[in-house]
Amino acid sequence: MKTWKITALATVLASAAALPAMADIVMYDKLDFAKDVAAAFTKKTGIKVDVVQPGSTGELLGKIAAEGDNPQFDVVWVDGSAVLTRMLENGVVRPVPEKILKQVPFTKLGESLIPANHAFIPTGASTTAIEVGSKKVAKADWPHGWADLARFKGAVAAKDPNFSGPAYQWLAGLFQTNGVEGGKKLLQEVLTSKSLASFSSGGKINKAILTGDAKIGINQDSSIIAKMRKGEPVQVIYPKEGSVALPEGLAISAKSKHMAEVEKFIAFVFSKEGQAAQSGGDDTDMYYIPVVKGIKAKGDRPTDINFIQLDDKAAAAHETAWKQWYRDTFVR
Amino acid sequence: MRVTETLGAAGGASAAPTLRRRGGARWRAAGATLPILAVFLLLIGLPLATVIGQSVFPDLFALRNPSFAFNPAPLIHALSTRWALQSLLHSLELGMVAALTSTALGAGYAILTVRFALPLRWLIVPVPWLVFLMPSYLKALAWVLLMMPGGYLVQLGVIPPDTARGFFSLGGLVFVHTLSLFPLPAFIVGAALAGFGGELEEAARLSGNSPFAIFRKVTLPLLAPALALSLIATFAEVLSDFGLAATIAHQARFGLLTYGIYTAVADYPIDFPAAGAQALILLCLILAAVFADRMLRRQGQARLISGRSRSARPPSRGPWRWPVAGIALVVATLALWLPLAAIAGRAFTATLGNGLAVANFTTANLTAVLSYGTDANAAFLDSFGYALVTALAASLIALILAARVEAAGTGLRGAVLGLAIGTVAIPGIVLGFGYILVWNRLPGFTGWPLPHYGRPSLLVTGYIAASLPYCLIVILTALGQLSPSLDAAARLSGHGPMARLMRVTLPLILLAVLTAFLLTFIRTIFELPISQLLIPLKGSPLPPLVVNLFDHDEDGLASALSLISMLAAGGVAGTLWIILRRQLTFGRGTGDRS
Repeated sequence: MKTWKITALATVLASAAALPAMADIVMYDKLDFAKDVAAAFTKKTGIKVDVVQPGSTGELLGKIAAEGDNPQFDVVWVDGSAVLTRMLENGVVRPVPEKILKQVPFTKLGESLIPANHAFIPTGASTTAIEVGSKKVAKADWPHGWADLARFKGAVAAKDPNFSGPAYQWLAGLFQTNGVEGGKKLLQEVLTSKSLASFSSGGKINKAILTGDAKIGINQDSSIIAKMRKGEPVQVIYPKEGSVALPEGLAISAKSKHMAEVEKFIAFVFSKEGQAAQSGGDDTDMYYIPVVKGIKAKGDRPTDINFIQLDDKAAAAHETAWKQWYRDTFVR
Repeated sequence: MRVTETLGAAGGASAAPTLRRRGGARWRAAGATLPILAVFLLLIGLPLATVIGQSVFPDLFALRNPSFAFNPAPLIHALSTRWALQSLLHSLELGMVAALTSTALGAGYAILTVRFALPLRWLIVPVPWLVFLMPSYLKALAWVLLMMPGGYLVQLGVIPPDTARGFFSLGGLVFVHTLSLFPLPAFIVGAALAGFGGELEEAARLSGNSPFAIFRKVTLPLLAPALALSLIATFAEVLSDFGLAATIAHQARFGLLTYGIYTAVADYPIDFPAAGAQALILLCLILAAVFADRMLRRQGQARLISGRSRSARPPSRGPWRWPVAGIALVVATLALWLPLAAIAGRAFTATLGNGLAVANFTTANLTAVLSYGTDANAAFLDSFGYALVTALAASLIALILAARVEAAGTGLRGAVLGLAIGTVAIPGIVLGFGYILVWNRLPGFTGWPLPHYGRPSLLVTGYIAASLPYCLIVILTALGQLSPSLDAAARLSGHGPMARLMRVTLPLILLAVLTAFLLTFIRTIFELPISQLLIPLKGSPLPPLVVNLFDHDEDGLASALSLISMLAAGGVAGTLWIILRRQLTFGRGTGDRS
């Protein structure tokens, strides 16, 4: 009997010992540099930040959706604007206060990415581009626009917009430039191999090109550039039709009780130290396009891209239907 | 001499007062079990109900105007769509085929390793444990690295690209599931083989039966309950598996229910009704299998271990042991060494595209993992701590619950075993979402200090819930082998229930309890879906970090982290097993079990 009591007590004590001290801010994110930024911020201000990074963007969003009207985060930092707009509509996040937005010396690109409803503040940008397996496709045959991908039908890898914020942004952009029906027709011509059309991350697209059946990928440019820098045989091509800029959006929980700390954190993100922390490593998201005046992109990352502006309202309004169409057409 | 009893056959000639006393004791035991069953329902039943319930109460957790309005439309929709029906059929097809193949392989492996004095035993015997140690998602990723058209086996010229493409099909899925799940039947059948000594087979041999006839007429019937349990456990495992469903099955366009649930919940907003409906279908399948098993085995179960058993028969040292060892080594290579080599190969290479070229080799990934103070280190240490607490708590709860259930008789035992097997099939992702809904949304549960959403306490509670069914199955199976006469003798000697559990039952099933502890310890370190959803604010446990790294093109670092974790977990578990096993003396080989 005594042994049981001791064991039970030890178990309870061990569980209790696992209780951590609460931080000042809780951040949910899906960006490679978020932890580095949080660490640099804590080092400078003493304000602690707990960083929560589940699996894919879809899993992170699923966690936020399950938390519903009792969100546990103070800030959420992800790629893509449409989903943050939906969160604002559902009362999960609050509009970013005007005074915060005004404090940031945005570039023209940065200003263009600020949503009218202030669902988030853009901290950087990237875009979706064409990834070419340079060992698999001769340079003369490289595609230069989305329509050229029809030449590679069955060998084009793409992400499922249901799992990936950037992929939805790209899908919405494609429907904007080609028209919804035109965009759907094009994708049905190109993505004839379903097994290549529903990856959950850019990493898997890279893998499909490097060691799988794919020759071409529709991927986030920062992911392609990070691979190129590591010596992998891939190339990035920006489509001639133009690309939708993909903002890295930082949004504030509607229930956050730590607004003072959140404001300090956002100010730090746009400071020189904050920007340095965002490009300090070799990970994918660190090859972002800065949206603050005076900050240069990492290495020789291209920034003179022919950007087109996404209609966020339309993208958010049709999100469920377009994602469902993609799932029904290419995933199931 | 061995005493063999059959439950349900013993009371035919008993006097009425004895029956009344037995009935009263059973009711008392069942009454004592109820509080523990309530905990079981709280840990598993309620979270599950919050997810499944949404298939007919779709507005239960709606952000605007939540309500209990009954609406079967989501369930009807989920059941009537083409893809849902296809996923159901695919899951059934894969579950049945893989359960058969993995049970056959696992049982064969157990019989060969128990009955033959194999050479190179040290290479063969630990294989099921090591395969079990390797999580499903890592096995799947390893096979993808090996078999993709530009994968290692194609790069090395072992197979042509077209064969590699053909691997991503039902055949490939069955192949990997079989190699991945055979340890479970090997454990169950191995434990059953260890339980019945050699007397019955010896008697059959002395009666002039051939080895094949002895196997067919004596060994196989004795193993039947263990084989049935293996079939159901592996069927449940295949149905609930997510690692292969999201990788090989997904690439093969072989839609499975677990992946359907995942696609419904990994989005904003979540399609909870669709997830609930598919989870309900999954649970019904498992419960149907458990019910069928109970119907088939109504006649009761053999009780084989008594206080007077003799030792098991000595393993064969004949010439057959060499080819048998060869077969076992082939299985070991395919199930363990090859996937491990793929992970190790990736851990020691800089890029995937440049393959296994000498210039591509590097130790940078391992150095990064072993550097103190990194995220990887923190995740590694945290997961080991969580796994230890979980294994202690789950095996303790399961032992107490199993002992009480056993005392209550076959009816309750069957129900709890059925419930345990049924809950094995609940995908971790469903349980994880259920935990968020209960502990972060459900009035009356939010704000508890322990467990608390966002803290390790809820993660550990989720781990315990996920492991409790396994622990129960292992411990109940061991208890099922004990003769009731042992407990009865101790009771007649005036020992109370706890003293009997500690002094009589526990020493006889200590190896099973240790098995449950180590299984839980290992599974928890690598548990993925619950870890992802209940990720504590203090930092990520090991599995989400590994998957994050894989998703972010950091295959090399992820492989290095996985490799080191598996070596460390295996080392800890193996050392514990060896030390404790040496401490346990069951009198095997001396004919004395007292």
